[in-house]
Amino acid sequence: MYDTEKLGTDVNQTNTKISARNVQVYYGDTHAIKDVNVDIDAKSVTAFIGPSGCGKSTFLRCINRMNDTIDVCRVKGDITIDGEDIYDKRVDPVQLRAKVGMVFQKPNPFPKSIYDNIAYGPRIHGLAKNKADLDEIVEKSLRRGAIWNEVKDRLHAPGTGLSGGQQQRLCIARAVATEPEVLLMDEPCSALDPIATAQVEELIDELRDQFSVVIVTHSMQQAARVSQKTAFFHLGNLVEYGDTSQIFTTPKDERTESYITGRIG
Amino acid sequence: MNDQHIVSAFDRDLEGIQAHVMKMGGLVEAAIGEAANAMVARDQELAEQVRAADKAIDALEELINERCANLIALRAPAAVDLRVVLSVMKIAGNLERIGDYAKNMAKRTSVLVHMEQVEGAHASLKRMAHEVQLMLKDVLDAFIQRDKDLARDVLERDEGVDQMYNALFREFLTFMMEDPRYITPCMHLHFMAKNTERMGDHVTAIAEQVVYLVTGAMPDEARPKATRLDA
Repeated sequence: MYDTEKLGTDVNQTNTKISARNVQVYYGDTHAIKDVNVDIDAKSVTAFIGPSGCGKSTFLRCINRMNDTIDVCRVKGDITIDGEDIYDKRVDPVQLRAKVGMVFQKPNPFPKSIYDNIAYGPRIHGLAKNKADLDEIVEKSLRRGAIWNEVKDRLHAPGTGLSGGQQQRLCIARAVATEPEVLLMDEPCSALDPIATAQVEELIDELRDQFSVVIVTHSMQQAARVSQKTAFFHLGNLVEYGDTSQIFTTPKDERTESYITGRIG
Repeated sequence: MNDQHIVSAFDRDLEGIQAHVMKMGGLVEAAIGEAANAMVARDQELAEQVRAADKAIDALEELINERCANLIALRAPAAVDLRVVLSVMKIAGNLERIGDYAKNMAKRTSVLVHMEQVEGAHASLKRMAHEVQLMLKDVLDAFIQRDKDLARDVLERDEGVDQMYNALFREFLTFMMEDPRYITPCMHLHFMAKNTERMGDHVTAIAEQVVYLVTGAMPDEARPKATRLDA
């Protein structure tokens, strides 16, 4: 919706960043994701939509192996980023998560200063040689998070003292501070008011110059506004995946049509 | 796909708008028939009625556009719902134009009754208007039944209307060459034939909207055309 012309060419020219083949996810006996195949473009925004419990968040969490932390969860199939299997035994999940950042539904800043919220990741991953380097990373990240102007005079105030919308942008800034290539967002605006939502959406549109963004959202209008491609999940199946403008004007599958037009699925 | 929205007021709004379109279509259909009848019967009173009835058609178009704007603003329609709204707005515009052409025919009838009658031409012109009226009826049925095949059938039939127009054009030319006194009435009759031919084009545009509404894509094959300027 921001610039459909640019969007049309982008979709055709970009390469595949993330590729999933025959992905199955089980929670104990429950088959939560059923044979999902999808290619996600680099430097574009891909939205996952679908009713609650359809598996969209579960699938999102597969992309940075967040499901590893759940004992009963098993993931089968292949997920590659730039052609490399992220479930390979040699892959360190901690390194993977530096490359694949994540932003959650509720803003969750660390109970530290604004500065330390951003500096934490670069410090543990050794991205800064000295204090000046770190200062630069913090400023750059806060600017990318579109929150620099609001916090530059109180970098050492606690991050938890910010408003909800500011906290969420702080979390996005924190996620981009480690220079990830992929940014996963799980309903990043569901706890925000419309103005803060618009600011985050504007930010997402800017971020796609540098990152591949995958966003899970319950707001279909948000998916329509921010994404270039949309995937519709239903009962663990990837029902339809295509250009966002096509999904929202002429969906091919009846289930997609029912869902996006607000009919009973 | 399930037919009903979870929010039932959405269905009521959409159905209300489509009911207005059907009502508008009915008025336009009647206007074509009555304009043609008034011409053949040289009935000035009926012609006046057609001219007066156009106001109601215009008012309906305005109402439909307003309802569509509200629906877009308040309910953010997507996919088939969006296509309904978009096509309805265009269809209402086409119907309004057809209504104007019928009104113009009635206006010319009011002038023609004071002139010498041109024998023979009225019957073919009435046949042409009748065919357009039937096409309009069918395309409205296609719209409400979401019948893309019937809409495509209407698209094909416009060629016949174009051919009728070409034949009438030659006929009027002959009349005018034979007797210069026929020039003025024949010019009026020619404009009426052209109006009718244009009505056919608008019916065709409605048929294209029905195909778009049902399939999500405009009909791609170039439709047959028989209007030739060298006729």
